[in-house]
Amino acid sequence: MARKSYQEKLTEIREDVLYMSEVVMERLRMGLDALEQKDEDLAREVIEGDGEINRMYLDLEQDCIDLLALQQPVASDLRFIAASFKIITDLERIADLATNLGEYTMDAERDLFPDVDVQEMGELTLDMLEDAMMAYDTEDTDRCRELAGRDDELDEFAERASEIVVRDLIERELDSTDEVERILQDVSRLLLTIRDLERVGDHTVNIAARTLYMVENDDELIY
Amino acid sequence: MTNEQMTSSETEPTDDQLAPTPGTDGLTDTADSGADTTTDRTLLEARNLDVYYGEEQALSDVDIEIPEKQVTAVIGPSGCGKSTFLRCINRMNDLVDSARVEGELRFDGKNVYDDDVDPVALRRKIGMVFQSPNPFPKSIRDNVAYGLKVQGKDDDVDTKVRTALERAALLEEVEDQLDSSGLDLSGGQQQRLCIARAIAPDPDVILMDEPASALDPVATSKIEDLIEDLAEEYTVIIVTHNMQQAARISDKTAVFLTGGELVEFDDTNKIFENPEHERVEDYITGKFG
Repeated sequence: MARKSYQEKLTEIREDVLYMSEVVMERLRMGLDALEQKDEDLAREVIEGDGEINRMYLDLEQDCIDLLALQQPVASDLRFIAASFKIITDLERIADLATNLGEYTMDAERDLFPDVDVQEMGELTLDMLEDAMMAYDTEDTDRCRELAGRDDELDEFAERASEIVVRDLIERELDSTDEVERILQDVSRLLLTIRDLERVGDHTVNIAARTLYMVENDDELIY
Repeated sequence: MTNEQMTSSETEPTDDQLAPTPGTDGLTDTADSGADTTTDRTLLEARNLDVYYGEEQALSDVDIEIPEKQVTAVIGPSGCGKSTFLRCINRMNDLVDSARVEGELRFDGKNVYDDDVDPVALRRKIGMVFQSPNPFPKSIRDNVAYGLKVQGKDDDVDTKVRTALERAALLEEVEDQLDSSGLDLSGGQQQRLCIARAIAPDPDVILMDEPASALDPVATSKIEDLIEDLAEEYTVIIVTHNMQQAARISDKTAVFLTGGELVEFDDTNKIFENPEHERVEDYITGKFG
């Protein structure tokens, strides 16, 4: 592989990572819409689309391995490939979490807790993911550091939402075992949704952390 | 014989003392000075070192402190002065008529360009291995013993020869053929024979000018393993065009760029993961040079 094509390959990896992130963001958006609209067709589309994301991930992983093996990149090139290699793993996991949202849509029956705004939480995570990928694209380290703070806000949001559910369950007077069984699944799904969106936030911080390392060789956000 | 082919053991010794006043600024036997652990003690130090070939400046204001018993790699594009720097260390450039050296190059505190320093004695302390293996048309034993004999260190030569061959990771392969010609060995073995010849007089420093560039990958790998082992007892400075090799085997890396300028000198992992200077970054990532 000539050195010129090596530079082109680096550019190609960057573009492919950004494209993968766009598809993942679209799937997360679709998962949230499916939940809100109880749209099973949309949910199925998200679930069935996961294979496409997995293929993108595997292709990009192979591209990174090829460059490491054949070109022995160093310095900023090495950090770019190492960061991209980790970032695609986070993107693939986010896509898995979007798939979960699709599955919850298929199973959920009712909105038992209108005070828990899953959509608002979803918007927060989507904004964070978009900003993390913009930071990767433009090598914006200020944005990387700022994202870590926003994840704390998301964690607080998730904690408050979980509290609302638990408090409601304690205060709710359920008359029979049947009634408990009836709401058990919906409560469980809601708590899992909150947890999954909170995890999307964690993955976006990982992306920001790897981007910061890529640009400045700074690992302050990694651990 | 060209300058490239000359080794420290090929020159006739005239004086065992580098400095005329032993105990003040003479040599110390750092290779025998005790434990073989890596230290950060500076063994070689250049200060404002300039080298000219006629009107052309080959090295420009080089400042560097090379630690003892570590491997220091010197990299840079062709014509950047890295081989010139290497040859300054044991005054091989004295053999080039047009070469002129200014500034200081201190070996264990003593400026090797002081008037009272004997370059031949210096080269006994600072051995050199070249790009192409260049054994003499003599037996393996005589190749290694040559440096010892010309120094008059001819007691127990056989043991010293075997020790040098063992340190050069060659003894096992040639133990039964010590009287065969060194020229009958493979390229990789010949290079290890030259390394054995360089270390037989027990120098403090071994300079290597692209020692594996003419070898196949297996022989290269053996030389690289050997360099790592040698650094337990000697200070090794290696010029290489192969940046991956520099990354693999060295503790410190010096990057020379066009104009004979030492642009960056740091721990090897720092150079190859996050160099300070953009020009170094551009060079090691292949964007120029």
